[in-house]
Amino acid sequence: MLRITLGKIIKGAKVSPKYVYITTRALSGPAKPPENVEVFIDDKPVHVPPGTTVLQAAALVGVEIPRFCYHERLAVAGNCRMCLVEVEKSPKPVAACAMPVMKGWRIKTDSELTRKAREGVMEFLLVNHPLDCPICDQGGECDLQDQSMAFGSDRSRFTDIDFSGKRAVEDKDIGPLVKTIMTRCIHCTRCIRFASEVAGVDDLGTTGRGNDMQWGALTSKPYSFTARPWEIRKIDSIDVLDAVGSNIIVSTRTGEVMRIVPRVNEEINEEWLADKSRFAYDGLKRQRLVTPMIRDNNGELKPVDWEAAILTVAKVIKCAGPSIGVIAGGMADAEVLVAAKDLLNRLGSEALCTEHTFPLDGSGTDLRSSYLLNNKIVNAEEADLVLLIGTNPRLEAPLLNTRLRKGWVHNDLDPPKLAFREQWEALAGKEYKPRPVVASIGPEVDLRYPYENLGSNPDLIKQIITGSHTFSRKFKAAKRPLIIIGSEIFERPDGAAIFAAVQTLATKSSCTDENWKVLNVLHKVASQVSLYYRLIMGGLDTPGVDKIREGNLKVLLLIGADECSINKSDLPKDCFIIYQGKLFIFNAEFGKVPFSIFHKTIKHSFLGHHGDYGASIADAILPGAAYTEKQATYVNTEGRAQETLVAVSPPGRAREDWKIIRAISEVVGAKLPYDNLNEIRDRLDQVAPHLTKYGYAEDANYFKQAEQLAQSIQGNIDNCTPLDVKIKVLEDYFMTDAISRASPTMAKCVQAVLKQKQSKY
Amino acid sequence: MASQTVKRAIKEVKPILSLDREEARLRVLNLYKAWFRQIPYIVKQYDIPRNEEQCRRKLREEFTKYDNIPDIRVIDMLVIKGQMELKEIVNVWKQKGHVMTYFKDTIEPKPQDFLSKFLNGKE
Repeated sequence: MLRITLGKIIKGAKVSPKYVYITTRALSGPAKPPENVEVFIDDKPVHVPPGTTVLQAAALVGVEIPRFCYHERLAVAGNCRMCLVEVEKSPKPVAACAMPVMKGWRIKTDSELTRKAREGVMEFLLVNHPLDCPICDQGGECDLQDQSMAFGSDRSRFTDIDFSGKRAVEDKDIGPLVKTIMTRCIHCTRCIRFASEVAGVDDLGTTGRGNDMQWGALTSKPYSFTARPWEIRKIDSIDVLDAVGSNIIVSTRTGEVMRIVPRVNEEINEEWLADKSRFAYDGLKRQRLVTPMIRDNNGELKPVDWEAAILTVAKVIKCAGPSIGVIAGGMADAEVLVAAKDLLNRLGSEALCTEHTFPLDGSGTDLRSSYLLNNKIVNAEEADLVLLIGTNPRLEAPLLNTRLRKGWVHNDLDPPKLAFREQWEALAGKEYKPRPVVASIGPEVDLRYPYENLGSNPDLIKQIITGSHTFSRKFKAAKRPLIIIGSEIFERPDGAAIFAAVQTLATKSSCTDENWKVLNVLHKVASQVSLYYRLIMGGLDTPGVDKIREGNLKVLLLIGADECSINKSDLPKDCFIIYQGKLFIFNAEFGKVPFSIFHKTIKHSFLGHHGDYGASIADAILPGAAYTEKQATYVNTEGRAQETLVAVSPPGRAREDWKIIRAISEVVGAKLPYDNLNEIRDRLDQVAPHLTKYGYAEDANYFKQAEQLAQSIQGNIDNCTPLDVKIKVLEDYFMTDAISRASPTMAKCVQAVLKQKQSKY
Repeated sequence: MASQTVKRAIKEVKPILSLDREEARLRVLNLYKAWFRQIPYIVKQYDIPRNEEQCRRKLREEFTKYDNIPDIRVIDMLVIKGQMELKEIVNVWKQKGHVMTYFKDTIEPKPQDFLSKFLNGKE
């Protein structure tokens, strides 16, 4: 009856006063938020919603209650007791982290009783904690150290009357990344809750009580005994080892990167960081290209100075004219891409390619919505249905997978029937969010949360569209469905057709929210998205290396292209390869020609920072800067532009990548019109204004138009080839790019995974 | 009101030597003449690899370097310093190398354009 009335009123029907009363009640909504309660923190009144804990209420008025086990992003454990506070008229102090406030409570966070309670807890913790801060890695940034100074007793009552020493527990080897110091454990159980809630690996746990209950104080193994917090310089930066663009802090000392830790960014990585991003930094010190090199008559790379290198490369480029191509690798920044593209265009060439292909049929890269994670990383936890197509988010973008898992862990269990939903929301005081249904098309992989693998046949997409698959019912029922398509799909010959089908599928959802974007593309490398901008702005029509293979190129510049996507056999025999930055230049035939001819025949240059595959095939190598060594723009998979800052200077004679291109351009006679960072940023701004809006992800649009354009795509889906992903299991994850391949820690990780597989336990 | 304060400020400044611009100008000219007359003796006494013509050009250059200074006090101070320099030269308190520093022939100019900065490792 209510519904009829509402409908009538909307249509403008006249209704009696009786109905109007009902209507107003209905409009006010049944899920009215419960009233706030007033509590007093140190006599300061504060109004908080019911269910707020004492600790949170205190935080609202700026009172920080000391804690060890409590963590905002983890479940409440309440076992350290450090947050005990006095509540007036309560016989005992209460644990602030776990106790919800009641109306009219007067909480005293700095009373005699509270301070005594804290001092007692501190004393008990320190009875079994070694007092060896000078040799402890945590010293200087240790919560226990800080809080014992602030809240602990000023003298010790600990006397070892039995001469038995303090508790000592044997350390446990849990792999090459984390060092356990069991004796220093204070049983906060944060590591256990993190592992089981966020990471989804229930490998850590506690058993027993007292001395039997142990896990361990966890510190970083590669960083152990290398630096102290007060002697390092901290630089805010961006991680580029995957396409998520996690925010990081680079700690440096004596011109060396000592460690990388996460920086809080709620929209991207919260406060977590993937293992590779955190620990692959030792790869920045090994296998580096430190000086320009040119291949000599004997086919050997010989170090030269910059003048010789630039002159040689420029001469070759000048001879080649428009027969020049560029392949950009996964860690090229937006500045070098702009410079390379501008140089190519001045020379009359269009062949700027990525190592990773993208189909140009349909809308191609013209519409941003076709290549971005449109719905943003932060919204992944809101989804009620996730369809992963040809991707393994756990290893390709671990922090996106963490979001998906967060949705799965924290959202509500059994969906209440619609009729009861309003009551449910009223009782719970929050909007009902169902736990997502996760399904995947592609190989069976481990995502650390249950999901349904529909199979790996590309035909499944068509089946879901037509409704002949059982999953399509769930898909159509979902209010906030999310389709995440892996970028590897585009490397298939039928990539365009599959993507067109996925675009169609995305429009078939019953999602009514305009701000909810169903279609999402997940990239694997940091440079990909900014590269697409360059492609669009330059009107280029070949994002993949295919054109390089076809084109009769005389010079090929590899900008950190190390993924073996191009072989010498693909290129004309006399092609000169230049590898820049982390990249180089190569030529197989080079050794056979006299040096005078060399200048005519060299064709590959490598501009890059690591001596990897690209450098090995190049004829000339121009050493560049890695992401910790330059101020550069990177665009993550959501289309968010962010910039890295200079933490250390590039090693040896390495230079910033775009400056190398700029220098070459002047010698070639096609001088690029920017001399410093501001000027090239202006150029970035000219070609794509959002590239310089740092920290902001601009929304993409035109999904419908992209889908319509996709209809024009010729070619069928190859149903005989199942969808696949390259990174399937953990050991594939650690070494995927020039930096992580050069990292000893990452090599040890691979070894550890393989060793564990062979272990019979 | 504001202009009054400025006026007062100007009035209250204590002159170093000259009371007006014309007087300062005369002091500069006198210093210039003194240097100019000393040049043949400098070339002879110090045995520098420069001839009189070159020294006169350098002298003119050193003076024109400051040709746009409006403050009389600053001009006076520069004149005083110029006199001190001249005295050091006349009394041979300076040595050959000190005189040659006016010509800065061993100082390499800093790279200005992008390419030379790049090749010198400054970019």
